Amino acid sequence: MVSALSPSARVLSLLSGFGRFGTFCGELGVRAVSRPFYLREALAYAGVTAARCLAPVLAVTLPCGMVIALQGLQIFDLYGAQRLLSSLVSVAVLRELSPVMACVLVAAQGGSSCAAELGSMRIKEEIDATEVMGVDALRFHVLPRLLGLTLACPILGTFGALAGLLGGYLTAVVLKGEASGVYLANLWALTQPADLWAGIFKTLVFGFSIGLVATFHGFHARGGAAGVGRAVNETVVRSVLVFVVVNYLLTSALFTDAP
Amino acid sequence: MIAAVRDYFGFVAALVRSVQREGLSWSASVKAAWDIGVESMPILLVIAGFIGSNLSLQGHAAFAPLGAQRMLGMFVSLAGVRELAPIIAGSMVAAKAGTQMASQLGVMRIQEQLDALEVMAVDPLAHLVAPRLAGIMLALPALVIVSTFTMIAAAYFAAVHQLGVGGATFLRFAADGVRPIDFAYGEIKGAVFGAVICTVSCWYGFHCGSGPEGVGRATNQAVVTSAVLCVVLNYLLSEVMYGG
Repeated sequence: MVSALSPSARVLSLLSGFGRFGTFCGELGVRAVSRPFYLREALAYAGVTAARCLAPVLAVTLPCGMVIALQGLQIFDLYGAQRLLSSLVSVAVLRELSPVMACVLVAAQGGSSCAAELGSMRIKEEIDATEVMGVDALRFHVLPRLLGLTLACPILGTFGALAGLLGGYLTAVVLKGEASGVYLANLWALTQPADLWAGIFKTLVFGFSIGLVATFHGFHARGGAAGVGRAVNETVVRSVLVFVVVNYLLTSALFTDAP
Repeated sequence: MIAAVRDYFGFVAALVRSVQREGLSWSASVKAAWDIGVESMPILLVIAGFIGSNLSLQGHAAFAPLGAQRMLGMFVSLAGVRELAPIIAGSMVAAKAGTQMASQLGVMRIQEQLDALEVMAVDPLAHLVAPRLAGIMLALPALVIVSTFTMIAAAYFAAVHQLGVGGATFLRFAADGVRPIDFAYGEIKGAVFGAVICTVSCWYGFHCGSGPEGVGRATNQAVVTSAVLCVVLNYLLSEVMYGG
């Protein structure tokens, strides 16, 4: 599919993709600061996304917390430092795991549904119909979805963090028989409230990047049913790519005080 | 839900029967493995690289207050080899190759190409699904190795150049952190994840609803379900491999 194009054509199509993305962001930016706002739709979409993604997010963060406790226990057993286990779990869960894993699942579930919805509206010419009727499709269909995805991510990240901590507790205390009091007492030994805020800030940024990528690919879908499938595929892959890179930059900025 | 699970296992059983009956085309499998590997490689390299350097940053932030910066290498290699590399390779292949399988087969379903194959007495399970399954089970273990070394190299780079940890210390502790058997366990995890991703995605593709929404929904559910199953299986496999 891709290899059918010559290298120069590929570079050109990449560049024009960036150009369209930039234009898309610019047009959205103009509409984001001018009336009318469809805030009610945005909040409704945030609720829909949160409800849609909650089960997958919990189903992923819980086993992740369990794995961290399982592997952490192996290491700390060597040094007789089992009491540090819950501190490790809470640092890993709050700083990295719950923001990243929750948002991977939001990209896979919420972002791809958003791209599929917009994509099939585009394919069935509903978006054109909206515009013919004088309603601004970007303002009415795209901005509420973008805002909704952005707002849903912190909520899901918080639930994911709780599930991860619970998963750690399940493995350490229920399955491996560590003392419950030791686990709970050391839970916050290495974490501060700032970690929580940093995690929430991360999820907001990730949610915004998922929303931009998803709405862009859905809005520009073409080529029938296969085009919708392709838009969904590209949404998942590219939004994960974007926020893993953003995650590294944010971690560098928020958590390191090295030179 | 229970009906869907039963249907999924029926699909897997039918797949096994078709392969027993019609055999497996090795050239198609190797081609599928090559396609999956090449398509997923660039994105996997980028993601494994950034996750590895991130691992270094967080490990350093956690160990430095305890005065245990030396442990960073061990932490990185242990977390990378045992857990992160397989799960990241698995989820990226689910996002890239899995969604592609679901949408390709879904489009074939709604355009009635699958029915056309069956009418011509060509078994779509043996000719479309089996090579993809063999291919992903060859490609994913290879991608696990690639992501392991990318991750450790990126972590080394971040540790030495961004955080100022000694390179030799990092490498010595990194080598102490893993045993050869851990790499083999990572490969097993990769093969299991591959089998799950392929059968789940192809099952969703085969049961695709009508129209563009149907393809979108099948693709969406394929990636979510296979990611969740990979993480859950990862815990169970880790429990068996390392829990004892």
